[in-house]
Parts: sequence; C-alpha cells; structure tokens
Amino acid sequence: MRSLVSFVLLLLVAVVSAISTTGNRLLVVLDDVAEKEGYSKFLGDLESRGLTLSIETPKSESLSLFHLGERAYDHVILFPTKAKGLGPSLTANILLQFLGANGNILLTLSSGSATPSALVSLLAELDIQLPADRTGLVVDHFNYDSASAPDTHDVLLLPPPGPLRSDIKDIFSAGAPADQLIAFPHGVGAALGAGELLSPILRAPRTAYSYNPKEQSEAVVDDLFAAGEQLSLVSTFQARNSARFTLVGAAELFQDKWFDAEVKKTGGKAVKTFNQEFAKRVSGWTFQEIGVLRVNWIEHHLNEVGASNESNPKIYRIKNDVTYTISLSEWSWTAWNAFSVPKNDALQLEFSMLSPFHRLPLRLNAKQSTAEQAAYTSSFKLPDQHGIFNFKVNYKRPFLTNIEEKNTVSVRHMAHDEWPRSFVISGAWPWIAGIGATVTGWLAFCALWMYSAPVGGKKESKKTQ
Amino acid sequence: MSADTLQVLASAGKGESTRTILRFIILSLIAGAAIASRLFSVIRKCPLSAGSQLLSWQSRPSRRGQLSGLLRLSAFWAALLTAASFQVSRALFTNVGSPSLSQSCARAERQSRMVADNPLVDPWFNFRATKYLVANGFYKFWDWFDDRTWHPLGRVTGGTLYPGLMVTSGAIYHALRALTIPVDIRNICVLLAPAFSGLTAFAAYLLTNEMTPSPSAGLLAAIFMGIAPGYISRSVAGSYDNEAIAIFLLVFTFFLWIRALKQGSMLWGVLCALFYGYMVASWGGYAFITCLLPLHAFVLICMGRYSTRLYVAYTTWYALGTLASMQIPFVGFLPVKTSEHMPALGIFGFLQLLAFLDYVRSAIPSRQFQTFLWLFAGGTFGLGLAALVVATSAGFIAPWSGRFYSLWDTGYAKIHIPIIASVSEHQPTAWPAFFFDLNMLIWLFPAGVYLCFQNLADEHVFIVVYALFGSYFAGVMVRLMLTLTPVVCVAAAISASSLLDTYLNVKSPNAEEHPADDNTDGKKSGKTGLKSTSKPVVGIYGWLSKGTVAGAMTVYLLLFVMHCTWVTSNAYSSPSVVLASRMPDGSQHIIDDYREAYQWLRQNTKEDAKIMSWWDYGYQIGGMADRPTLVDNNTWNNTHIATVGKAMSSREEVSYPIMRQHEVDYVLVVFGGLLGYSGDDINKFLWMVRIAEGIWPDEVKEREFFTPRGEYRVDGEATETMKNSLMYKMSYYNYNSLFPPGQAQDRVRQSRLPEVGPSLSTIEEAFTSENWIIRIYKVKDLDNFGRDHASAAAFDRGLKKKKAAKKRGPRQLRVD
Repeated sequence: MRSLVSFVLLLLVAVVSAISTTGNRLLVVLDDVAEKEGYSKFLGDLESRGLTLSIETPKSESLSLFHLGERAYDHVILFPTKAKGLGPSLTANILLQFLGANGNILLTLSSGSATPSALVSLLAELDIQLPADRTGLVVDHFNYDSASAPDTHDVLLLPPPGPLRSDIKDIFSAGAPADQLIAFPHGVGAALGAGELLSPILRAPRTAYSYNPKEQSEAVVDDLFAAGEQLSLVSTFQARNSARFTLVGAAELFQDKWFDAEVKKTGGKAVKTFNQEFAKRVSGWTFQEIGVLRVNWIEHHLNEVGASNESNPKIYRIKNDVTYTISLSEWSWTAWNAFSVPKNDALQLEFSMLSPFHRLPLRLNAKQSTAEQAAYTSSFKLPDQHGIFNFKVNYKRPFLTNIEEKNTVSVRHMAHDEWPRSFVISGAWPWIAGIGATVTGWLAFCALWMYSAPVGGKKESKKTQ
Repeated sequence: MSADTLQVLASAGKGESTRTILRFIILSLIAGAAIASRLFSVIRKCPLSAGSQLLSWQSRPSRRGQLSGLLRLSAFWAALLTAASFQVSRALFTNVGSPSLSQSCARAERQSRMVADNPLVDPWFNFRATKYLVANGFYKFWDWFDDRTWHPLGRVTGGTLYPGLMVTSGAIYHALRALTIPVDIRNICVLLAPAFSGLTAFAAYLLTNEMTPSPSAGLLAAIFMGIAPGYISRSVAGSYDNEAIAIFLLVFTFFLWIRALKQGSMLWGVLCALFYGYMVASWGGYAFITCLLPLHAFVLICMGRYSTRLYVAYTTWYALGTLASMQIPFVGFLPVKTSEHMPALGIFGFLQLLAFLDYVRSAIPSRQFQTFLWLFAGGTFGLGLAALVVATSAGFIAPWSGRFYSLWDTGYAKIHIPIIASVSEHQPTAWPAFFFDLNMLIWLFPAGVYLCFQNLADEHVFIVVYALFGSYFAGVMVRLMLTLTPVVCVAAAISASSLLDTYLNVKSPNAEEHPADDNTDGKKSGKTGLKSTSKPVVGIYGWLSKGTVAGAMTVYLLLFVMHCTWVTSNAYSSPSVVLASRMPDGSQHIIDDYREAYQWLRQNTKEDAKIMSWWDYGYQIGGMADRPTLVDNNTWNNTHIATVGKAMSSREEVSYPIMRQHEVDYVLVVFGGLLGYSGDDINKFLWMVRIAEGIWPDEVKEREFFTPRGEYRVDGEATETMKNSLMYKMSYYNYNSLFPPGQAQDRVRQSRLPEVGPSLSTIEEAFTSENWIIRIYKVKDLDNFGRDHASAAAFDRGLKKKKAAKKRGPRQLRVD
C-alpha cells in the first residue's frame, strides 16, 4: 500500500516536474498578497501547468532566493511595487546571481509606479534602458483602444508579433486568430542595447512614443526617450547559461480584466484580446517550457572502408573521412520532440583549430531520428593539418536554448608506414629503375673484374715526375 | 710522483702486456672516478630523497667575484691567447669610448644578466619521451604525435627530436630486462650521463694516444676529461640531456676519424661514419663534426698533404655518414639542402677531382698537365660556384639559418631572432667562464697546440684546426664551451705529459748518447732543410730544476682537482627546481615553490586544462604537472611563442581574446620580487616584448616599456604600457597586501612599488606559492550576461553603472 502511494506520488512528481525543464518552484512577488486576485486567471493558468506558486511580498522576512547557497526557487515573477526599494533580499546582485544559477525571471513594470532602483540597475547590467526618472508611459495616437482610453491613448492595441527574423520560428503568435489584438495597457517601454543576448518579443508600432506624464504633460515633447520600433514593450534576455529573463512593460497585460476585455480600434470593430494566450506563451518561454533545446548525444567516427567503427575516438589522422552526428530534441510544453531547424536557418558544424578549417551544414539523418529526437549529421574529410581540433556546434538563436558543443580530438600526422609505397607512385619509377641499373652495373662490373685474368708478363713502370 | 711510481711498477711488471693491463686498470679507475664524482656531488647536495629530484637541471650561477687578482691575470692571458680574444677585442672595438676593458666586460655581463638564467629543462622532456618509448615501443615513438604541447598545434615529436638519447636508454633498459635485472627506466635516465662520461674519458684517452707517443698523455687526458667542469656541467647525474651522450660520441668519432685517416682504412672510416650517424641521431651539435672534418681535409689539401689515405677515409665517412644521418626524420634531406652541410659535400667533390687529377698526372706529360690543370681547376671552380649560387637563389639549398649567422655576428640574433638571443646559453661567453670551466687547462691548452705544431702530422693538424674553431665558437656561445672542452683536455694533456716526461725522469740524459743523437739529427736536418723543424735533444740535468717543476706541476694539478670539486659541488650539482639558500645561521633553507605549484596544478585542475606560461617552463609543466602547455622549450614555432609574448605584454582587453582563442585555462607566471629571485618573468619580460614585436611591430613596441629616459622600471614611474601589461599586473597583483601601506618593495628590481596595486578583471588569482615565486591565474569565462569583464568586475565591487555613458552621444539604434 505504502509503496503504491509513493509510486503514485513519484508519478505525480514526474508528471509535475515535466512541465518545465528546469523545475517547478515559482516565486510570485506582489506588493500586497491581496493583489493576486487581479491576476487570478494568469496565476491559475500557471498552476494548472504544474508550477507550484509561493506568493511573497518584497518586505517579507522569509523571502530569500537562495537557501544554503542553492536556489530556493526555479522561477520568479516580479509584479510592480509601489515601494521605492525592493529590500535586501531582492537586490540587483542577488537577482543576477539567481540568473547565473539558471533561475528564470519574469519582470513586469507599470507606468503607474516608479521602478525600484534595484531593478533599474539590474536592467542596466543587462543593457536594457528605462526612461529617466524610472517611469514612462507609452502612447500611440493611432493604435489605441477607443473603448477604454479614448483620451489618454495609453492602451495600445497591437497585432500578435510575427517572428523576429525570417530564420526564426514564430513561437509567440503562431496560430493566433487574425483578428485578435494584444492590449498593452499603461505600459513602460524600454530601449534595448545592441547585445545579441537581448531580443524583443513585442515592439511598439512606428507611431508610438514614450513620455513622462508627470513632467511632460505639455503637448510638445522635446527630450524624447524613444519612439517607434526602438521601444520594446516585451523584451527577453537569455544569458549565456540559457537562463531566461523577460521584461514585460505592462503588468496589466496579465490581469484578468484584460484577458476578457473586448477592445476596439478607432473605426474598427470590437475584438477579443489575445492577452491570455500571449501571457501563457511569454511565461511559458520564460519558465523554460517552450523553446528549450537539448543535446541528447554526439557521436563521431571514422568513415572509411575497413576502419574500425569505434565511436568518438580521441585521435584521427589527417585526411581521414569522418562522420559527425548530433542529436537534438526540443521541449514544448509537455514533451520532448524532434528538433527541426527553421526553414531559412542552418545548423552548422565547425571543425576548428584557432579558426575553422571547415564549416559544414548538418543535415537531418532520418535513419537515426525518432519522434523524440532528430539526428543531424555531416561527413567530411579532415584537413591536411595536424593539431588539436574541435568539432564545434555553435547554435545560438533568439528564443532557443544556446547550444555550444565542443568535442576535442587530436589529428595526427601520417605515420611512417602510412604513405604509399614507392613502387605505387608512378613518378618514382625512373628512380627505382636507376637504382636497379646501378645495382646491376655494379654486380656486372664486379663479375667482370673478378673473372678477367690479370695481364701476364712484366708491368711497365710508370713515369715518375 | 705518480708517473714515477708508474714507472717503477712498469719496470717491475716488465713486458708489454703487463703494462697494457696496468694502463687499462688505471683507465678504468679514472672512468670510475669520473662517474663517481658526478654521482656523489649530486647525492650529497640533494636533501630531498625523492627520486624525481635527481632528474635535476642546472642553472648557472653568477661567476663574478670569485677570482683573485692573480688568477684573473692568468686567465686573461690565456683568454687573450685563445678564444676570449675574440670577445675582448670585439668589446674593445665596439666600445672605443669606454675607459677600460673591465668596464666593457662588466657591461657585457650586465647584459647577460638581464637575460636571466633559463634553467635547462630539457631533461624533463627527454625523460617523458623515454617513458613514452619504453611504454609504447619504438614505432609508436617514431610516429608520436604529442597533443599535450604546443596547444593547439601539437608537436610531431617523433619527427622533431634527436632520438639517440631515448633509444640508448631504451636499449639499456631492455638489455637489463633481458638479463633479468628489473630497473626502473628513471634510474637509467638519471645515471646515463655519468655512465657515458666514463666512456668519454676512455675516448679522450684513445684520441690523445693517436696524437702522441707518450704513454702518460692519454691517461692525463682521460683524467682531465673526467673532471673538467666544462663537461661535468652537462653530465652530472640527472642531467639527462642530449649532450650527455653526444660528447662521448663527438670525441669517439674524432678518434675514429684520426684512426681512419692515419691508416687510410676503409674499416675505420666505416666505423667513423657509423658513430657519426649515432651522433646525428643524438644531438644537433653534429653539425660541428660535419663542418670540422671537411675543414680538416681542406687544410690538409691546402698544405699539400693530399693522400690516398685521406681520400679513402673521407669518402668512406662522407658517403656512409650522410646516408646514416638522412635516416633521422628530423634531419631528413638537410644534408643535401642546407648550407651548413655544403662544405662536407664540396670537399667530397673536391677530393674526387683531386683523385682524378692525380690519376691524370700519372698518365700524361707534365707540360700538358699544367695547361690541363689550370683549365680544369678554373672550369670546375667556376661551374661549382655558379651552381651553388643558382641553387641557393632558386631555393634548392637553404641559405644559412639564423642560428648559424649568430655564430658569426653575436649581435645578429638580438636584432633578428630574439628567440635565440633570449636563451642564456646562447649568450657570448664572458671570459672568466673559460677559467671557471677549464681552470688550469686553459693555459696548458695553447702550449699543447704549440707542441702539435712541433711535430706536425695529419692528426696534429686536426688538433690545431679543432682548437681554433672550437675556441672561436666557445667564445661566441656559452653553450659551445662543451665542444671546446675535449680538445682542451687533449691539448693540455699533451703539454702536461711532455712537461712531466721531460722533468720527471730519474735518469739524467747520458752525455755520451747526446752527440750520437745530434749526429742523426744533423743528417735528417740536412735532408729536410729547415733547421727549426729539427729537434735537438734536450734533457734536464739538475735535480733542483726537476724538483721545482715537478713540485709546481703537482701543486697545479692538486689545485685543479680542488677547483673542479668545488665548481661541481657549488655550481653544477644543485637541482634548480629546488632552490637552496642559507639562513643567517648557516642552516640550509629549501625553497620549493616550483614543485609546490606544479603539484597544485596536477591536483586541482582538469586533466586537459591548458596552461599558458613563458616557454621556459613548458617542459617542466608538461613533465611535473602533466598538463598541456601552449609553448615549451622546443622553440620550433616562433609565431606561437610571439603570440604568448603578445598576450603577456598587452592590455587585458587585447590578451583576453588571444587566451580565449587558444583555450587557455590557467596562466602561470614566475615572480621573484618577494624573495629576490632574479630569474623571474619580469626580468625576462623584455624578451617577450621583443619576440612579440618581431611579429606584430605595430601592436607591441619595446620602446613603450621604457621610461622616456630609457629606464626599465616597475615602480611608480613605470610607463602606462608597462603598468597595463598582463605580465606586470599578474606579477604585482595583491602584492601590496603583504606590506604596510606604501611600503611594497620589489627585492629583485630594488624598487618601491606604487601604493595602489594593479587590478585584474579577465583573470582571477587561483594559486600563489609559499614564496610567491609561482603565481597561477585562472582565465575567466565570458561574462554570463554579455558584459565586458571590466564592468562586470566593477558591478561586483558594488559600483553603479555610470549614467554618463548613456548620455555621451546619440544612442545606438538597435537593428534586427
């Protein structure tokens, strides 16, 4: 009986922990625990996906991201707070440490409350800039919700964002109904630095801009923070260790109110918001539930006739033919699936020493692939250079786990008995013939010398000078 | 006195065979003593019983202030007569303005001190290679690709080393095993050099016996060879280096050559070629033989001493020796491709021509022969020269290599190939070194050469030629003292024995025999003509003069033995990986930082953690810490060394990408500032800069490491380039914390360091040894959040990001 219970528990744990690839302990930081009612749908959605929620306020004594040097939570959601500071347990340093320990953070802002300085300096470290005075409001006089903000124009209506680039899979708006819009109410826009770790999910329309409603209430805005597509409304940062950080400019986007609301552009008809699905995808991405890649195995071997098919040998010889295979899976919500490279993208293999000697496309190998994993393979001839080389797969794309796999092998020179023999090389034939001629000539000379009798009789004495 | 007893014994024994046996016993005693002297000195000095300790190497300590004025004078006299004359005259000519000789010498020494002692660490590599050979067999060794050095290039070790030493040890190892004597290969490696020094003494005996009929000269030469410090320096126990067996091979090859030449014997010529092949397999110094034998032949030809004996000996040696040498992969086709080997080939051809002419002369009348000779000689010479020029310019023959140029112009290497000049062994020899390494022999040596002139046979010409060139090269490079030592021993033995033979004769010359001798001499001189070449018989009659000279000679010999013992125990037998120093109370204090640090590396880093250090420590790290290194003492790739030099001498921001690219995990520096250990990296730093500048003249500039007044400083007045260089930062990082504020002191450079020490952001301190001699830094990974290391470090220190940076200009727009 007991074992059955524990078995069931174990099964449950297995099912539950399968929801996110890094863990299911989620910390929700709210200014006031009562506020959670406003986010009940969003939080309920998270819980239904298998995350266990702990709700704390920044002031709470027991709040600590680390316990005995280990992460106490796997994910953190920070909702906006009225307080100026977040207290000693949520400093920029600790949050960075949390990211460094593979924790994920979903940070929400709101134009209604100034961003705490700890968060501003955290964002500054990630190269994300907020408007001066730590508050700002994004408005758009063309794409606003005429139902709720007819005068202030601060509830932006945006179509679901397409893929960031053509070679990236669309994971945030794929399958969205064409007529649904994302409502972005009372939000703060951020300007992103040029780093490749940052990528925006949702950018402001070309006609939007950010201003400070308290100081710049006049119509003329002369010191503009940012405008148009440079304003990122929902941005992501994926650290090198693949820890994920998402900045959502408007916390209200997650509120129940906007999940159900009907919005209406000027002149358009009222439509349902896409917010609930969008929130699910953004939080799912942040908490490592989608877009997670895993390397299952890597194998390389000699691809020559008659060679032993030993896997992953430590040493090859120059000009050997080798085959390299890497197996990749992608986690999406509940299961590992075979990872398929987006259409315009390529998965590449580098064979490098100091610099790449080969950069080759890895092609899907159907024979070794299954539904759970896809094997990509490439066969090539090693360069004519000995040294310590790396098989390197460096696949880093926005919204996908970083893959940087390095397998070191030595490439040795030809051994003394691996060269073709001289009689195989046609160019050597004249020389071999020469050797033969010399040997024969010498033997003939010796024979002649030995068998010719010395001339009899007296010798003529040589003249001396 | 000893010769006297010898004679008594010999007369007692009567008969040739007894005498031979006696001589053999004495010779083996000498050889045994030579071996023992190399063992005891090391074992006595070695306080740590660990066997690996025996595998030591020697750094040459300074030799200043150890010579009394009198000795200085005599040494100067000898030096002026021989090789150092080159050095001194050069110093005189180049420093015309300098007031005195001593000053210019002092300057030369100061320069060589800046180079700092590069410890000889080859034994570590040789030992490692031998272990590989024994473990994997000969063919694996032959094709060995070593992926733990020269990361990431690797080294084709089998094709870039002289395998003679390792194969010798391996053969001894297997022979002993076959005799069911299980020996650890390490013991063989440690004891190989002393064992071969015994053989060298024997070879010196044989060579000297070819030179002089005096029976005692050979024994004296064996004694000298056995204890001359110049040779002991490379043959103490644990000095498992190529030279350990190469000097024996050198001397023995010369002996075989003389024997072949004297007898015109093809058999001895073949033996000579075989040992020459062995020599080629053992040491790069084989080029000395390759050049000396043709030179000897050439001099003989020019003296009109061409003979069929010479023809047979030389052609046999050259043909077979060249074929033998080409079997070594490292040498390969060099004997027919490079200029160093061209003299041997040229003389080979020349001898064929001479033989041909000799034949023609015997066949045709003399008048026609004259015309024929001129036409033929002129034509051949012109053709040969043209062929050489064409082949060189077309690239078939490599021009003289840089190492060779540096033999003619000692300043050449410093300008063109700093990597060669940076090795202390390649510095010009300071003249006291001659006295230090050879002592009494250096003034017996010219006398011996003079005696060779007195009785100028073919073999004596060899000694003269060898003496001339050996001493020249020894004056150019410290290292080549080693090749000079044998000829010095032989020549000194000839002179000493002739002195002793003359004075240590109990019988006074018989006055009645004298005129008879004179008569025969008169007849001979009447034939040969020149009076100076005739030898009048001289003898010593007075007991007083006999006693004085013999006594003085005895004192000199005793002094020589004492000197050699002293030099060996003080300079050549302390393992330099463990530094021994004396406490104020006279007790010995052991500084064991190297081993401590290497042990740390071995135990605390990944098996394949790449260590970047200056190349001097490459073999040590490979041997003792067993970790891959970027560069090591096999300096075959100047660019790779220059890359390390650039990383060391540039700013952190420049160095970091280089280290990332080379997958460096740890950086190791040697810092002697705390202890006053002068062989540290800051003292070698200028060589790193120079070598890097040779490859990247735009990025690394030596001038920027000197203050405007041309000083090399490390204190507050050091240049910005110096202070920002990685090497400076790594050396002095946290050094301030050892001292009260503002009191940090560098005891090598004798300077006070700035109050605020350097800070590091791309690397972090991982280990510092007890006396701070070795400091190891770990290279940080890329920042997790994409920041540069400096700002990441600033953030960790609690500094806020400056907002000013944001407002400096228009923000960069993001495009994606």
